[in-house]
Amino acid sequence: MWEVFEVLAWAISALLVGWMVWDAMRVGQAHSENELLSSREGVDDLFGDSNRKRS
Amino acid sequence: MTDQVVAQGQPKSINLLKVLGPAHVWALGVGIVLVGEFMGWNYAVGKGGAYGALIACWVIGLLYTCVAMIDSEITSTVAAAGGQYAQAKHTVGPLMAFNVGLYLVLAYTMLEAADIQVAGQLVQIGALDMLASAPVNWEPYTILCLAILAWLNYRGVFMTLTVNFVITAAAFASIVLLFFAVKPWSPGEILQHQELLTGLPYGWLGVIAALHFGIWFYLGIEGTCQAAEEVRSPGRALPLGTMSGMITLLIAAALTWYVAVGVLPWEYVGWDLELAPLYDAAKVVSLPLQILLFVGTIFSAIASANGCINDASRAWFSMGRDRYLPAWFGAVHPRYRTPFRAIIFLIPIAAIFALQIPLAQIITFSILSGLLGYTFMPINMYKFRKKWPLGSIRRGYVHPFHPLPAVVLLTLCITTYFAVYLGYGRQLLAMMAFYIVVSLWFAFHRYKYVRRGDQFTMAWPRPRGY
Amino acid sequence: MVAKYVPPVQSRAGQIFDTIVLLALVFIALFLPLWLSIAVPSRVEKLPEGVSYVAAEDGTRTWTGLSWEVLGQNPTMQAQWEKLGHSMDSAAEIITQPFDYTIDYLGIALTGVVILGYFIFMLAMSEREYKQVIAEKFD
Repeated sequence: MWEVFEVLAWAISALLVGWMVWDAMRVGQAHSENELLSSREGVDDLFGDSNRKRS
Repeated sequence: MTDQVVAQGQPKSINLLKVLGPAHVWALGVGIVLVGEFMGWNYAVGKGGAYGALIACWVIGLLYTCVAMIDSEITSTVAAAGGQYAQAKHTVGPLMAFNVGLYLVLAYTMLEAADIQVAGQLVQIGALDMLASAPVNWEPYTILCLAILAWLNYRGVFMTLTVNFVITAAAFASIVLLFFAVKPWSPGEILQHQELLTGLPYGWLGVIAALHFGIWFYLGIEGTCQAAEEVRSPGRALPLGTMSGMITLLIAAALTWYVAVGVLPWEYVGWDLELAPLYDAAKVVSLPLQILLFVGTIFSAIASANGCINDASRAWFSMGRDRYLPAWFGAVHPRYRTPFRAIIFLIPIAAIFALQIPLAQIITFSILSGLLGYTFMPINMYKFRKKWPLGSIRRGYVHPFHPLPAVVLLTLCITTYFAVYLGYGRQLLAMMAFYIVVSLWFAFHRYKYVRRGDQFTMAWPRPRGY
Repeated sequence: MVAKYVPPVQSRAGQIFDTIVLLALVFIALFLPLWLSIAVPSRVEKLPEGVSYVAAEDGTRTWTGLSWEVLGQNPTMQAQWEKLGHSMDSAAEIITQPFDYTIDYLGIALTGVVILGYFIFMLAMSEREYKQVIAEKFD
């Protein structure tokens, strides 16, 4: 029984990591680097004042 | 200020989501740390005996109170994904910030490696103890745990931290239940403090040595400010979450120590290969408690690893965004709004340390990186108050008695370096060698790719004296 | 007005190279010393008087002169060891390996200098870089 669990654990791990890598590559191709790297340090929203300004 | 920069550069910028409240901040802080009551703190008993560990727990509690005070004040003003990393950029300078960023990444990645190792090995121990099966391999479960948590983090912060809140609360409840189950009101029945407690096996030098693993009772509570960029109103939620987290940990640490040393001989608790002292304490008492603590320990390890992936990847991401690391890491996932490349990149590092290195030594790397970060804090506080005195900028929280907490913190840090030196001197030097070499690499190679003025993102006036 | 510093754009290959350098540093400085058992905790073997053992080739030890009393364990401790699944022999292997805290003054001084030197270098270098940042941001 434990052998089955072990194989399952390895398989699920490989599947999840594989999916992440696949998704990351897909995103990298579908979007421009400029868009992906566009985030800026969000330091202006300290007291929740500008929540309404930003979507 | 930042809005303008964003508007000029990119009309369609992708940022991290602002969805977290104070309960999530509590869960992020305590969730990461609570595992320290289930494993790792016990090595303090090995270094200084049972009483040595208790004294270490108090002294280090004082260290963390200073950390929480200083951190709350600065974080209530600098709220950005990198936490202390962003603080260092604004108060001290780029090279310090690079180092602080690495402290965070390594402290959390090593903690994460320790967590998943414990989760995997506990499956092995539990199978042996409770199902009396033949020895099973622990490695697949360690990796499975890592893969699932990384995947959750990849998919989004809100779901991740909501899960964390529930399992952290459950793990905390298991400690409280264990405490009442061993009947603290009738000593001698289950708890045998009279018979099991000995004097200080290494004298007062051992007490100092125990400070090293005393850190483990609390390490990571400062992680609350890692999520600053995703908190709805950080100026209020971060100090609240950090302080309530600190109180939770002080209670949990006291209960943990009391139960463990009242049931187990100190040499057993403090042995380098002892994995889960609370689970073992429960095992000696009864089967239902053993199952409860099995679940509690696994939950705490999962909650912690989960928070660590969150924090380590955000610090790595922030450094990529500033070009301190290759810019590629500064990407945000357009759909899930997570630092997805940083999350994937850190998976193999955690996996290799978890599979190959003994727990006490993984923990020591985490502790050392944490300790370097605490040494930065008094410097940070001193420069922060000097460059922007009270009244010059809006602060969400102002801590009392400045500069006393900073001085106490620095003194305790220096003592703790000595504590690590006792017994783990070579590992201390290995870690310092690493930080020295990467600092040289950054100062003389990497920094040329960094934009200068853009690192300063706060809408603050010019620092005094510059 | 200070001239704005325009950093070079790093090529994809350069980014990969830098990442590999960092990874290599993590493994050389942190992983290898532990994996090769160079940086190990300083525990020493300290046998109580009259106790000795012979280690077989597979590592199992045959003890002579061993008792719970010479290991410093009272009956309560003994009972707990046994509940935890330990025999006197296996408990002895743990109990007879305390830490060695012999103070090596040269070692302490050296470690102190390394840590202090690191912080001084880092703060001095940061200060220099920080001045540039402030000048570019506010001038």
